[in-house]
Amino acid sequence: MSLEYQIIDHTADLGIVVKAHSLENLFINSAKVMIDLIIQGDVKGKTEVREIVIEGKDFPDLMVRWLGEILYLFYGENLIGSSIKIKSLSWSRIKACVEFVEFVPEYYEILREIKAVTYHRISVEKIGDIWETMVVFDV
Amino acid sequence: MEAKLKKIDNWRWEIPKTGNMRVPGLIFSSPELLDQGKNDQSVIQVANVATLPGIVRHSLAMPDIHWGYGFPIGGVAAFDMEEGIVSPGGVGYDINCGVRLLTTSLPAREIRPRIKEIVSALFMNIPTGVGSRGKIKLSKSEEKRVAAEGAYWAIKNGLGVEEDLETTEDNGVMRGADPEAVSDRAYKRGHDEIGTLGSGNHFLEIQYVDEIYDQKIASAFNLFEGQLTVMIHTGSRGFGHQICDDFLKEMSSHVQDAGFILPDRQLACAYIKSETGKKYLSAMACAANYAWVNRQVIMHWTRETFESVLGISPRDLKMELLYDVCHNIAKIESHMVDGKKTKVCVHRKGATRSLPPNHPDVPQKYREAGQPVIIPGDMGTYSYVLTGSKKAMDETFGSTCHGAGRVLSRRQAVKLAKGRAIAREMEDRGIFVQSRGRNTLKEEIPEAYKDVSLVVEAVHMAGLAKKVARMRPIGVIKG
Repeated sequence: MSLEYQIIDHTADLGIVVKAHSLENLFINSAKVMIDLIIQGDVKGKTEVREIVIEGKDFPDLMVRWLGEILYLFYGENLIGSSIKIKSLSWSRIKACVEFVEFVPEYYEILREIKAVTYHRISVEKIGDIWETMVVFDV
Repeated sequence: MEAKLKKIDNWRWEIPKTGNMRVPGLIFSSPELLDQGKNDQSVIQVANVATLPGIVRHSLAMPDIHWGYGFPIGGVAAFDMEEGIVSPGGVGYDINCGVRLLTTSLPAREIRPRIKEIVSALFMNIPTGVGSRGKIKLSKSEEKRVAAEGAYWAIKNGLGVEEDLETTEDNGVMRGADPEAVSDRAYKRGHDEIGTLGSGNHFLEIQYVDEIYDQKIASAFNLFEGQLTVMIHTGSRGFGHQICDDFLKEMSSHVQDAGFILPDRQLACAYIKSETGKKYLSAMACAANYAWVNRQVIMHWTRETFESVLGISPRDLKMELLYDVCHNIAKIESHMVDGKKTKVCVHRKGATRSLPPNHPDVPQKYREAGQPVIIPGDMGTYSYVLTGSKKAMDETFGSTCHGAGRVLSRRQAVKLAKGRAIAREMEDRGIFVQSRGRNTLKEEIPEAYKDVSLVVEAVHMAGLAKKVARMRPIGVIKG
């Protein structure tokens, strides 16, 4: 599935706008876009499934914390999120089953470092029938 | 929020207090530099910072100001200890990102024929790039010692000499570090990143001194024309990023309870005297210490590499640390406020401390000259050494600029560099570059930055620091 997103200009950092037809896909696709911005290559290796539960105070907060979790698992535990299934999603909580593979640097081309997911200009909104999020990463 | 600028003099512009601003904004710059940043949001960000509780005097910005997240990069803000806040976003993710400069006894012309050999050896010995893992693996208990002891930990483990501590800001150890305030996640990310350069704008650069502006101070700093120098720019890596992330999330959860009205969620903060505020400062100090160890270890391996490639003894090479400055930090410092010496929490996000001659925190050997201020430029032009000034103490809580400051986004830079062989272009300019990431060199082209000479001229003319010497690169490694 091709991901619908655009990169937005930010002098020091890197912003993205992601669009999807459902809120679930918005969260899934945003995570995939973030990983795509860091590494390039076919994800391969032994898989491991983890259940991830994140709580936040609204959708934008939830988006920052969700992406932050996927980013931590990449840097802190060397895990690349390869397949995501959302089990439940509300304005304050997301529960997902994520299939991970171990990150082996030799298998991938490394594009850039994303240090963190920021709250700067964060938005999650429904425009017509489309869900849209804007996220700025510290790079 | 609208933010209009009012010219005060040739080097200072005020953002008058409007709306929810508690104090005016004050930007140190030149018309040319201001014009370069006219399309970004940095001036609005200066105004946004001025709305934060307990801000003292002004929300300040240096000439290298550019659009960041929350605080602008190049921003300085001091907060009252009783009424004021501390903001992780006002320090940045890369806590104690900073620069150190090493001097040598050698004229650069002596090593120029071997520059490729040296750069390649440094590239081999110092891990660079995204997710680079260091040669030192730490247990959690040892990492806690790093967090508590700072650069002293490195010296104690044979990764440097005692004299290095004398010429490191705060002697390489930030007081108040509490390793128990740091999350397991931060320790996990930091366990194998000591001695790694990272990516983006971080670098190790071999340079030579090409111009001296103040002979007396240059001599005090042991600088001479033609001299070989080495500059190291990096920070606290994933350890610091995680600490910032942890506390931003925690503070973000309590913004409404605390009654803060924030123009940008990234400005999440806590009162300095609150438990969360104190805990953040203790954890931030751990990251500051981690960063000093990181730069110290990289410096140690740099010394070893030069000695090994050139076959010169440490005594003959005399690779000494001129100074190490941090430019992403929050510090409790004493400054004159309303005619009284007052403790404030100074946030410097992309700004360097600038202490004048005779200040007690300036190392004894530089006491008469003032604190060395190290300003890196982009990989194709210059870097500078300046010295701190009294005017900076009076006007900017002892702060000055930190670098050139980006003017193009990374995407714009890559677009501009399309079809160009940047490494070859650099080589044609006499600079041999090695880098890890596919797009690093394109993202870091000289055109992506303001002209560092204009930035330095602006702080020099505004009196926030005084020019001492300029260096040109001849070899660079980047992530």
